Amino acid sequence: MNHCDPQTGRTFALFRLAAGRAIFLSFVLSGVLSAVLPASAQNSFSERPVPILTGNAGYFTNVEDGHTVLSPTVNPVLLVPMGDHWLIEGRGEFEGDFERPDGGGPFGGTVDKELNYLQADYIANPHLTVTVGRFLTPFGMYNERLYPIWIRSLPEEPLIFPIATGSSDGLMFRGGFSLNAKANLNYSTYFSAGTENRVLEADRLVGGRLGFFFPGPRIEVGTSWQKSLQEERANAFGFHFAWQPAAVPLNLRSEYARSNLGSGYWIAGAYRLSQLPFWQRAMRHTEVVLRAQQFFAGEDLNNEEAEEYELPDSNARQADFGLNYYLRDGMKVTSSFGRQFSPDEDANLWTVGIAYRFALPLGNLGAQ
Amino acid sequence: MLKKILIFLWSLALASSVWGAAAAGNGQGLDTNTASATTAATRVSNDAAERRLEGERRFHENCGRCHAAPHKFPPRMMATIVRHMRVRAMITDEDMHLILDYMTQ
Repeated sequence: MNHCDPQTGRTFALFRLAAGRAIFLSFVLSGVLSAVLPASAQNSFSERPVPILTGNAGYFTNVEDGHTVLSPTVNPVLLVPMGDHWLIEGRGEFEGDFERPDGGGPFGGTVDKELNYLQADYIANPHLTVTVGRFLTPFGMYNERLYPIWIRSLPEEPLIFPIATGSSDGLMFRGGFSLNAKANLNYSTYFSAGTENRVLEADRLVGGRLGFFFPGPRIEVGTSWQKSLQEERANAFGFHFAWQPAAVPLNLRSEYARSNLGSGYWIAGAYRLSQLPFWQRAMRHTEVVLRAQQFFAGEDLNNEEAEEYELPDSNARQADFGLNYYLRDGMKVTSSFGRQFSPDEDANLWTVGIAYRFALPLGNLGAQ
Repeated sequence: MLKKILIFLWSLALASSVWGAAAAGNGQGLDTNTASATTAATRVSNDAAERRLEGERRFHENCGRCHAAPHKFPPRMMATIVRHMRVRAMITDEDMHLILDYMTQ
């Protein structure tokens, strides 16, 4: 744990107090839920899980205001189940960033390497999972669920994505359960120890997220909160919404986030063309996406911080149009065009690429 | 102090886990009594069909919110993937079991 700031003693004491309270409240909540809620349904499935190497690979060409960048990406994910209650999981990220030098010549650049998460999950009971290690910060829904390149509807992340997301190092409690036939509830609460280690870099913070899913109308709503326990001790808030109507192949999603760095929102609709009466073979594999988003730079946001967090350094609006074609399960060709409006400069953003998800067993699969 | 709190809370988690398992066992006993009231073979067949339909519905409700339906992996791989998704997407215990049954049939 890193205690390098000047007010080390006081900050660390407050951190321990806040973390202790967060842990205590989580366990009280989970204990109460275990007592009140019905136990799990029994299943007829008896196969033992096997370790898996999965993940995704992709290759993207981005053209921003006439400047071309090539980005090959690989995200290996290792899943190691242990017994009936444990899962060890980790994800790495290798992303190339290759461009031509200003004077011309061959493409060159660097490959960024990151450890997104490396965590041990203990499924304590049907309503509580305890996670220890490095995990994706549960803020909003994009970071944990929509980030993988084979899942996201548009190749580029939303402008507000860096707000309160990334990875945390510490302890997390989470779970989901049915409130009644019409509503499910899910929760996460966590604290993270700050570290400046290059591979395990994380901020010192506490936070939580609460979400509701209504299976009938297929609507999900949720709210997130995070408090930094270092420097400005700033708060961050977020809201997310998703709707997948049963009658049409539409996915409507939106997020709002606010912190001392800035605030903003995105709203996106992804529509599968499977209901069109012509060219059925092609149309059922085709998806069109529209996204509108806006970012309002915070008063504290300077150029250095904007670069560090990969946020726009001033207010920005952006509209994106995307077209995806699913070649087969887990493999798609993706393309998008965006127009960003900013006080500094307006710019066109073009992206085309291919994304693939793989999954390989690392053990005996038994009789098929 | 923090260490003591952590030890105490881990004990609470384990106790709550045992409690959940015992409650699940009781629920299974009730199901057995109910089943004996009807013709066993018909009941098993109808239950399996209903469970499959319910599993398919839960799959589309939960998994379909983020990604398209994947092809079905071998059962032992599917067991790992569903456990991973239970943690990642906070799928309820009941949904997880129904989805796992559906995806391995």
